[in-house]
Amino acid sequence: MKITDLKKQQGSFLLNVKNAQFEAGKVHGIIGANGSGKTTLSKIIMGTLPYDSGSIDYEGLTDRDITMTGQRPYLMHTSVYNNLIYPLKVRNRRIDENLVDYWLEKAGLQDKKKQYALSLSSGEQQKLSFIRALIFKPKLVIVDETLSNLDPDSADLFERLILEQQQKDPITWITISHQLVHIRKICDMVHFMEKGNIIEKATPQEMFVNPTNPSVIKYLASTEVSFKG
Amino acid sequence: MFENLFSDYSLTVGMLDSIKVTLIMSVCSTTISSVLGVFLAIMLEKHNFKGKKLVVRINRTLMGAPPVVIGLLTYILLRKKGPLGDLRWVFTIKGMVVAQTLIITPIICGMVYSYLVRTAPKIRAFAKTMGADKWQTDKLILSEIKNEIYFSIVTGFGRSISEVGAVMLVGGNIKNRTRTMTTAISTLKSAGEFEAGIVLGIILMIMAFIVQSLADYIRKEATEDENY
Repeated sequence: MKITDLKKQQGSFLLNVKNAQFEAGKVHGIIGANGSGKTTLSKIIMGTLPYDSGSIDYEGLTDRDITMTGQRPYLMHTSVYNNLIYPLKVRNRRIDENLVDYWLEKAGLQDKKKQYALSLSSGEQQKLSFIRALIFKPKLVIVDETLSNLDPDSADLFERLILEQQQKDPITWITISHQLVHIRKICDMVHFMEKGNIIEKATPQEMFVNPTNPSVIKYLASTEVSFKG
Repeated sequence: MFENLFSDYSLTVGMLDSIKVTLIMSVCSTTISSVLGVFLAIMLEKHNFKGKKLVVRINRTLMGAPPVVIGLLTYILLRKKGPLGDLRWVFTIKGMVVAQTLIITPIICGMVYSYLVRTAPKIRAFAKTMGADKWQTDKLILSEIKNEIYFSIVTGFGRSISEVGAVMLVGGNIKNRTRTMTTAISTLKSAGEFEAGIVLGIILMIMAFIVQSLADYIRKEATEDENY
């Protein structure tokens, strides 16, 4: 996916992504300080926020190939099961109960299948939202801050699911997170955003261990996470 | 206290017919208002147009409009010499249904619109992430606010069965034809038949309770179908 001269004015904030490329089949991380435009960019890529000018070349991906899950996911006022099968129903696909059980088990929600989704804990709601995004085999998944506020076990589960997916059937991921340790572990490429633009793109090794861009160095210093040594 | 309950006078006000008229009028007007109100609320939330704020404000004003004013306007429209006089709906149940529909539709529309403004953008964004098309998105929005729609309809029904002014003006309170339970109570009061009036009032409340319970039961059935 290629982004060219993408602009979006939101109040006093201007998103202005000159050039960005998200190679297919890779896990991309977007990092940057609060207010740098990460979520705005992800919403525009998802198509839930219109942009003012510029272009996004989805390289053949359609609306139904892309999905997104966020820190406060929307869950329908129904059961865990009905939430999980919704993307399959939207695509008129046959409901494969084994597939449903497989994903529920992966997320540790097997015994909560018939439970009212909104009665789940926030961590469980995020897990449900995550497996709901994967069950229909999307080609691009945008994960906006889902890794935040998760207990270590759940965060590990997310990492494991992403890595398993990439080994089995690689898809494109765009993950936005302040959890730099996770980003380093799971991403193939990291994009650094500042003031509405992607100003640096590098491998996790280059971005976190040997950063050269002064803005990246400053940001990493502010996060107090050390990748040296 | 109620030994004179079914005195000749009580029976002559047409209590049984007033129950029938009330039910027919309330069910018809609530059904029409529900369809219109929900549809208008969806259209209003979905589309941006010049003057939208004014339309919303007018609807809110109509939500609290005095029924007797709506009744008067309906009467003027439907009376023999009025623009819709050819319909010959004045002093008929049809005319009362029109007045009630004009009273209840803004209430249902306004309530549903408020729910939609709060929730529809979130649901729409979610539906997009799930790959839903426009039709599936609209269906999802309706399904997600079904409890609120139900609450609005029950509120509309409550308003319908309890209304006096408009139905008195448009219906004329004609015994066995357009006399509703509320206008019958008013007639009984004028005649000093308080006990019968109270009984009719209690019957009215029991009816409201039964309708509410029935709606609750239907909703519960629908909810249980969802495998919670």
